[in-house]
Amino acid sequence: MLDWRQEIPSREELELLQLERLQSTLNRAYRQVKFYRRLFDDHQIRPGDIQDLPQIARLPFTTRADLSHNYPYGLFAVPLREVVRIQSSPGTAANPVVVGYTAGDLRFWRELTARFFRSAGVGKDDIVQIILSAGLTNWARDLKDGAEHLGASVIPFSNLNFAKQLMVMRDYKTSVLVTTPSYARHLLEVMATMGLVAADFSLKQAVLVAEPLTPAVRQEIAAGWHITINTAYGITEVMGPGLAFSCPHNDGFHFSEDHFLPEIVVPETGAPASPGEVGELVITTLSTTAFPLVRFRTGDLTTLQPEACPCGCPLIRLGNIVGRCDRIFSVGGIKVHPDQIANAIREILAGHTPRHRLRLSRDAGLTYLDIEIQMDETLFADEVKCLEAISRRLRRHLRENLGIDSRVALVEKISPTP
Amino acid sequence: MLQIRNLFAYYGQIAALSGVSCHVNQGEIVALIGANGAGKTTLLNAICGLVHARGKVTFQGENLLQVPPEGIVARGISQVPEGRQIFAPLTVADNLELGAYLRQGRRQRQEIAADLQWVYTLFPRLRERRQQTAGTLSGGEQQMLAIGRALMAKPRLLLLDEPSLGLAPVIVDTIMAAIVNLRQQGVTILMVEQNARTALSIADRGYVLETGRVLLSGPAAELLHDHQVTRAYLGKDYKEFTEGR
Repeated sequence: MLDWRQEIPSREELELLQLERLQSTLNRAYRQVKFYRRLFDDHQIRPGDIQDLPQIARLPFTTRADLSHNYPYGLFAVPLREVVRIQSSPGTAANPVVVGYTAGDLRFWRELTARFFRSAGVGKDDIVQIILSAGLTNWARDLKDGAEHLGASVIPFSNLNFAKQLMVMRDYKTSVLVTTPSYARHLLEVMATMGLVAADFSLKQAVLVAEPLTPAVRQEIAAGWHITINTAYGITEVMGPGLAFSCPHNDGFHFSEDHFLPEIVVPETGAPASPGEVGELVITTLSTTAFPLVRFRTGDLTTLQPEACPCGCPLIRLGNIVGRCDRIFSVGGIKVHPDQIANAIREILAGHTPRHRLRLSRDAGLTYLDIEIQMDETLFADEVKCLEAISRRLRRHLRENLGIDSRVALVEKISPTP
Repeated sequence: MLQIRNLFAYYGQIAALSGVSCHVNQGEIVALIGANGAGKTTLLNAICGLVHARGKVTFQGENLLQVPPEGIVARGISQVPEGRQIFAPLTVADNLELGAYLRQGRRQRQEIAADLQWVYTLFPRLRERRQQTAGTLSGGEQQMLAIGRALMAKPRLLLLDEPSLGLAPVIVDTIMAAIVNLRQQGVTILMVEQNARTALSIADRGYVLETGRVLLSGPAAELLHDHQVTRAYLGKDYKEFTEGR
């Protein structure tokens, strides 16, 4: 297990460390990134004006739209020759999200992800199997790196089907399963159809990532395998998993505030929320060098709970993610904006966007995006064969571009919202 | 042990420090690195009360900014200034005894004698040359003397300003070994260096300063490893900065 006193000596020292790191991050962002220099100048603020942590509220926000506008390298704070990894994800705006890492960033990130595994009780003797969809490739790689850094034996994600994955899990004596809540439930269903039971496996715990976990689903997965459950919170724009991780004593997550500064703001006004109030999570990076983010608005609604935690971890607690303050939603852990679906439909239909409706549904544990497209005169002109082709092409388009599974139905009239 | 928050210092209209925050833990060697004019020496002088500064400097819980320089020495902080600044016409032994000028009283005399022996054990060269005038010493020996003199004040925190300046590489190694040795004997060290590689190779942590601001901080090994990144931040000053002179 982890000795937190080694990691974080005291609250006072942690806060000085945060201030030091915040100030050097602001100095670097202002010096190296044109976007931040202009943003700070527009708000008539200099990095030296931020003299304690609460004063961070004086700085302007960074949004997903800013990331998209500065595509691809506009927010990098080091020259490209210092960047050793350029990571992309589809993102939720017009352009993909591009995050750069220096060799030092990767080392620190691996250590942080390893710390998250250690806090969950994962050690060198564990066999860690990672089963994630192709849309979560970045998460899969980071989790693999972190578990390897820890010294565990890692079975990285692969394109084996679920039945084969279960075979591997049984035969390789996997002790830690890393997957999404949806996949975990689906694996349980596949397990039942194969006639396998929990006793056939050596599984001790599951680390469930990328999707919110309801108490009912947690209970179902824990009971299905007789295992303990740990979770993690992370977002691709701010490195990924290991940002915050679950604690055995509480719902919610411990936030790695020695390397990232969390704030909760009122979504409508941007003003700091009162302690314990639900608001939007805003994150500032403190340690990354290639891609510093200042007051990045995550869109996730949650709380910060400053009270000490009985587990002994001094890191502040993030409550469960209770929703979003924008239109972005998650399909099996992959974030999607409704405009992205509308754009996809327009592309398939050569510029025509009929009325459509999006709904999430579950089948055998897996999450699908159900898209109902209302028939109109433009679409009616086509033959039935073509209509089938439309839904097939849209499904493929979403799978290839966003990595999500969808089901498309062309309907006479969109069913009323339940 | 030492905590610095938002330190600002000016020479006339020119800002030498623009909001520096940093800390030194008990038993650490911390390196402040950066090119000429980055504000490294100003930071040390502000800690010692030699430069007027605004902000917060706390040493073992006590605010130092209102304390006069001799009071700061009495609280356990000694500085080894850049360019040694030893008293050239005096002997080595006299220079060392002057380092203990704040320690008076009969009992202190015995302790001072013991500390003198400790400094001689640390730097045997000084014992050999104890009757020689300081001005006749080599550069390396003068640096040893300057450190020895600072140690005579029994500091808990030793501030070193450019200890490798103008010394041959082999002498630099000796000085660095002595600094590591000092840490093992319980002295905490904050060191300013332009020669980043040398400083980071013995330090636990480091801060990279530029024009009075901290640009990077972290474990020394990490900064040493990331000298590419350091170069990115320091631009053309980099060569002068890490490759020694």
